[in-house]
Amino acid sequence: MAISFEHVTFTYQAGTPMAQTALEDVSFNLPDHGYLAIIGHTGSGKSTLVQQINALLKPTSGTIKIDDFTITPDTTNADLKPLRQHVGMVFQFPESQLFEETIRKDIAFGPQNFGMSPEDANELADQMLTTVGLDTSYAERSPFELSGGQMRRVAIAGVLAMRPKVLILDEPTAGLDPQGRQEMMDLFEQLHREQGLTIVLVTHQMEDVAEYAEQVAIMREGRLVKFGDVQEAFGDPDWLLANQLDVPRAAQFAQQLAKRGFQWQPLPLTADQLAEQIAEQWRKRGTDHV
Amino acid sequence: MVNHYVISSTFGIITGDFYMGELKTLMENIIEVKHLSYRYGKEQRPALNDVSFDVHRGEWLAIVGHNGSGKSTLAKSLDGLLPFTEGTVTVDGLELSPETVWQVREKIGMIFQNPDNQFVGATVEDDVAFGLENRQVTREDMIPRVKAAIEEVGMHDFAQREPSSLSGGQKQRVALAGIVAITPSILILDEATSMLDPLGRHEMLELVSKLRRDQKLTVISITHDIDEAANADRILVIDDGQLVQEASPAEIFALGEKLVDLGLDLPFTAKLKAALKKRGIEPPTNYQTMAEMEEWLWQSLSNT
Repeated sequence: MAISFEHVTFTYQAGTPMAQTALEDVSFNLPDHGYLAIIGHTGSGKSTLVQQINALLKPTSGTIKIDDFTITPDTTNADLKPLRQHVGMVFQFPESQLFEETIRKDIAFGPQNFGMSPEDANELADQMLTTVGLDTSYAERSPFELSGGQMRRVAIAGVLAMRPKVLILDEPTAGLDPQGRQEMMDLFEQLHREQGLTIVLVTHQMEDVAEYAEQVAIMREGRLVKFGDVQEAFGDPDWLLANQLDVPRAAQFAQQLAKRGFQWQPLPLTADQLAEQIAEQWRKRGTDHV
Repeated sequence: MVNHYVISSTFGIITGDFYMGELKTLMENIIEVKHLSYRYGKEQRPALNDVSFDVHRGEWLAIVGHNGSGKSTLAKSLDGLLPFTEGTVTVDGLELSPETVWQVREKIGMIFQNPDNQFVGATVEDDVAFGLENRQVTREDMIPRVKAAIEEVGMHDFAQREPSSLSGGQKQRVALAGIVAITPSILILDEATSMLDPLGRHEMLELVSKLRRDQKLTVISITHDIDEAANADRILVIDDGQLVQEASPAEIFALGEKLVDLGLDLPFTAKLKAALKKRGIEPPTNYQTMAEMEEWLWQSLSNT
């Protein structure tokens, strides 16, 4: 699903003395099947922004378009039900939202709530369990016997069971160990590639942005200060540093080498991109040394 | 030379004016763990299986291992939060037992992963005062200690704030202030930086380094974070409830891609080396910092 924001402003407790503007005049266009990373400091408006996409929060002014759906300040909740079915949201620490006796029941809860028969929902639950990399033998177990990483997979399976076309992920790997993080990011990449899901990822992990995302939105104090493809967003490390954002390690390293006369085209952002360009220079300079 | 090594590995910088007496304190063990085993309920496999190690006074020890390896169980055992059945834990000369557990806890401050789970006070000040109230410190004594602890962690502007209005990094600072106030000799960080953003994580590690210096703390950090592990003097690796390795950060990082199995991320240089190898370039096998690797690449590519 393509997502477009047109001059979206959002104010918490609008019209009261407590009013606080969290988004200010945000506009961008994300193509269908995109993979957008939203970065910025804590409190910059990232989470507020993604909550507009499934209309958990509605804009105070401006318009959001998600395929054929239009969200304006006047849109009613009844109008939003079909949209919410298409936009799956994985909150931070989603495992804290598990509640059923068995894993199967927990995953089947959402689809049943939207009118699916229990038999179909259970079958779908087992299918989703496999999708997130857990064996169907887990289906009858309690979700509370699982490790943290497994619980998170079950919670994600519950979101996927709604068959969303857009998947919103708010720091989905926080608190996992490096291997668990990697597996989680590979899962999203697979859903994006094989099922064409549009992914919107809120993260602090610049390495993940460089590795997986196609578009990047950078937020600062409620404003969208940069929007573009990964190379555009990260191509100017000095700008990132000036905005107190982390530069991917590969880009940092490449910049150090640039000071010694290395030339990069374009600036490498991942270890693989860096190695590729080094290997090219290695071949050019002859093979009489190793 | 041996003594020299001990000092430099403990503080990173040798000042040259250490007395032998201080040196002896450095070598002393503040914690001794012998043949510790622990089993949760009726689980077949022990969560900890015959673990023995020492912690030297004043050192920064990192304990690494993947999720479920037994690291957190180990940390909780040191503080008497889990009643282990086999083995002994001695903290600052006191053997941990139901009789000594309260005395042992006086010596240990612990910070957990989720800052939201460790607040009790309505304001930052109240929260920092909680530990002192529990210890029946008088009000006259308490006020300056709370103030000093909040100053120490750089949160004086937030003393009257509600903890829930703070960012994750600020919350962990407040938790640290609560520990500073009760002046323990040991600080245990149980994945305390894992929920923070990169800036918050960096600031927290700086603060812990400062507190360690100012308060002469022994730091034990249980972590997956490569930068946090790099700060340590020594790293213990736990796998499947057993202690499988003990070495310096440089030795551990030299393991390259095996680090992932240990529950650590790869240092960037290890990732780059793996990517170069795939392209037929053989980099040196020892661990290299970014600066060392940069030097090696520059040398290799410029002398044609």
